[in-house]
Amino acid sequence: MSTTSDVSSTPAGAAERRPRSGGSDSGQSSGGNSGRNPEAPENGRRPRSRRREILAALPWIGPALILIFGVVLYPAVVMFFNSTRDISQSGVDKGSVGFDNFVEVFSFPYFWPIFGRTIVWVVVVVAVTVLLSLGLAQILDKAFPGRRIVRLAVIIPWAASVVMTTMVVYYGLEPYFGIINKFLVDVGLVDTPEGYGWTRNPETAFAWSIVVAVFVSLPFTTYTILAGLATVPGDIVEAAKMDGAGPVRTYFGIVLPQLRGALSVAVLINIINVFNSLPILKVMTGSIPGYDADTIMTLIFKYIQNQHKIDVASALSVVAFLIVIVIVAVYVRVVKPMKEV
Amino acid sequence: MKKSLRFGSAVAIAAVASMTLASCGFGGGGDDDSASGATTIDLLVPSYSDATQGLWEDVIKGFEAENTDIDVKLEVQSWDNLETVIATKIQAGEAPDIYNGGPFAGFAADDLLYPAEDVVSPETYSDFQDSFLANAEVDGTAYALPLIASARALFVNNALLDQAGVEAPTNWDELLDAATKVSALGGGIAGYGMPLGSEEAQAEAAVWLWGGGGTFGDASTITIDDPSNLPGAEQIKKMIDAGATQADPGSTDRSPLMDIFIQGKIGMQVGLPPTVGQIEENNPDLDYSIVPIPTQDGSPITVGVMDQLMAFQNDGDKQDAITKFLDYYYTSDVYVPWVQAEGFLPVTKSGADALGGEEALKPFLDVLPDAQFYPSTNPGWSAADSAFKALFGQIQTKPAQDVLTEVQAQADAG
Repeated sequence: MSTTSDVSSTPAGAAERRPRSGGSDSGQSSGGNSGRNPEAPENGRRPRSRRREILAALPWIGPALILIFGVVLYPAVVMFFNSTRDISQSGVDKGSVGFDNFVEVFSFPYFWPIFGRTIVWVVVVVAVTVLLSLGLAQILDKAFPGRRIVRLAVIIPWAASVVMTTMVVYYGLEPYFGIINKFLVDVGLVDTPEGYGWTRNPETAFAWSIVVAVFVSLPFTTYTILAGLATVPGDIVEAAKMDGAGPVRTYFGIVLPQLRGALSVAVLINIINVFNSLPILKVMTGSIPGYDADTIMTLIFKYIQNQHKIDVASALSVVAFLIVIVIVAVYVRVVKPMKEV
Repeated sequence: MKKSLRFGSAVAIAAVASMTLASCGFGGGGDDDSASGATTIDLLVPSYSDATQGLWEDVIKGFEAENTDIDVKLEVQSWDNLETVIATKIQAGEAPDIYNGGPFAGFAADDLLYPAEDVVSPETYSDFQDSFLANAEVDGTAYALPLIASARALFVNNALLDQAGVEAPTNWDELLDAATKVSALGGGIAGYGMPLGSEEAQAEAAVWLWGGGGTFGDASTITIDDPSNLPGAEQIKKMIDAGATQADPGSTDRSPLMDIFIQGKIGMQVGLPPTVGQIEENNPDLDYSIVPIPTQDGSPITVGVMDQLMAFQNDGDKQDAITKFLDYYYTSDVYVPWVQAEGFLPVTKSGADALGGEEALKPFLDVLPDAQFYPSTNPGWSAADSAFKALFGQIQTKPAQDVLTEVQAQADAG
């Protein structure tokens, strides 16, 4: 945004409904004389000048558009394309099969349990993460000696690779030599001397996966909320105190509504992240036979890894993609994260 | 445009055998370094052990010293990722020139491979053991070169069996009895280590199903849901229900479980030639012996596994370089140390002569004549193999017949 050249075009504080893009006037004779008076353009004029605005902005937004197309849209298009093809085990394209791959996805007997488990996975992980983060952020927002150290400590799970973190927990849960298992045996919570096969049974492996997922999601969420807390004006809280509101009342009446923006962002990004998370479940439930601990993501992986069905995996990816879009759309409709407080 | 061209060429290669493929990768397999006149060979191999990469690098160094006009590029992948990597590479038109892997029939069916005879000299070709070569044939033509073989045998922890007062078993009844008694020792000791987790479920399944007279099929059909496989599957359940195995056998992977055996906490477990080296390295004091695998009636059987090298046709212009490299690799001086370092069994006649006197390999070489192999020349074996890995462990909780049916269904769908 160059703010150097144009000083004449619009008076500061002109009550424009849309802020005009800064680059539009620089070096362009936009609309000749009428550019002087943006308040009352003739009706026929408006769309053309907007198109011109977009054209003028292209050099600035072009690289970003190319990047979005290359990194986001193109692979998505390939995914949609692959989902309608028949691709052999060794990866050779044998032609189009229409929607057969989707039929295979939905006729898979374990699909709906897996779908349900995916929803449970997302809801539980995100809900627990947000609740814990609200508490953590509240603590980190208070001034206490050593606060910086504690704040740093909270970032650590974020800095470590997810696979590494999960591996540590996984090996801790191993029978015979896992440190978590050993501890549970030593304090008498598990009565078999070699420990319990936490990662060998679908239910317990899934539960532990949720624990790990919450652990690695905490830093980001906490920091987002912490940033939100920093924007809560002190005088409002002060005023609430003057009016005799207790800490609980102040928190729920004043602070939490102010956090709306930060919370919405945190929840939205977490939903997408958790839904698309593969490594935790892959490590924790990877050796379990059958489909009793799978989510849609791990099922996609199994289609590729075990059955080499790239085409069916693509179809399932498309389904997953649509599910995420639906979840996000519903969330945006219900929560209205962009609404002002 | 580039995309559609690539798909077009993929269809063409599937339709027309040995047709040259318009180079459309990004410098993967199809670029000759014309400036220096050197040919580049891409070699994709899995990692058998921590030493694998170094061993291949030594081979390549020796080869390049003799053939200065050929440049060999090595890529090492883990077994877990290998098949995904090769599929991705083929899809992108960047198949390696030489690939070391397991199932190959799918590639042969897609007309991607050179026949074995076209990429080694007649001398090298005739040096392979016939039984192994036969196992690399599709419709009478060998499309892969045997690389290493391995057989399985039962590793027995002598100390634990003595403690429980039992002998090394030879048939299922004795095995069940011995394993139950060893398990009863308590203290986290398991009688029989049964790894049915995803890592190598098909191997443990084969040990039991074949031991009961079953089969996985042949080059034309895959038969898993077969009455002959049921006794073995039922016996697995019997072992689990009797508490003769470690906890949760259905989701226990082989490598970590072998570590537990090496630590001396498991009475008996089926192992491989490299297991001998692992024990040597990690717990040399372990008092163990190696005996043939117990079967239903005590008749000998072992699960033979053979890995292969195969050569992809790609542009079809590197046949000479590939042949030179493979001939060099299979010479006794290069091949024998390589196999020995990895701890497997040789597949060449000259290699077998050279290693015949090895004490550690003897129990395995003894059982090799009774080896049965996976039906790896069947294009459907790869899917069956994956189905075993993904589903067979459910036998811990589901009826044996249902599991066989489910594995067969997924194998057929693959």
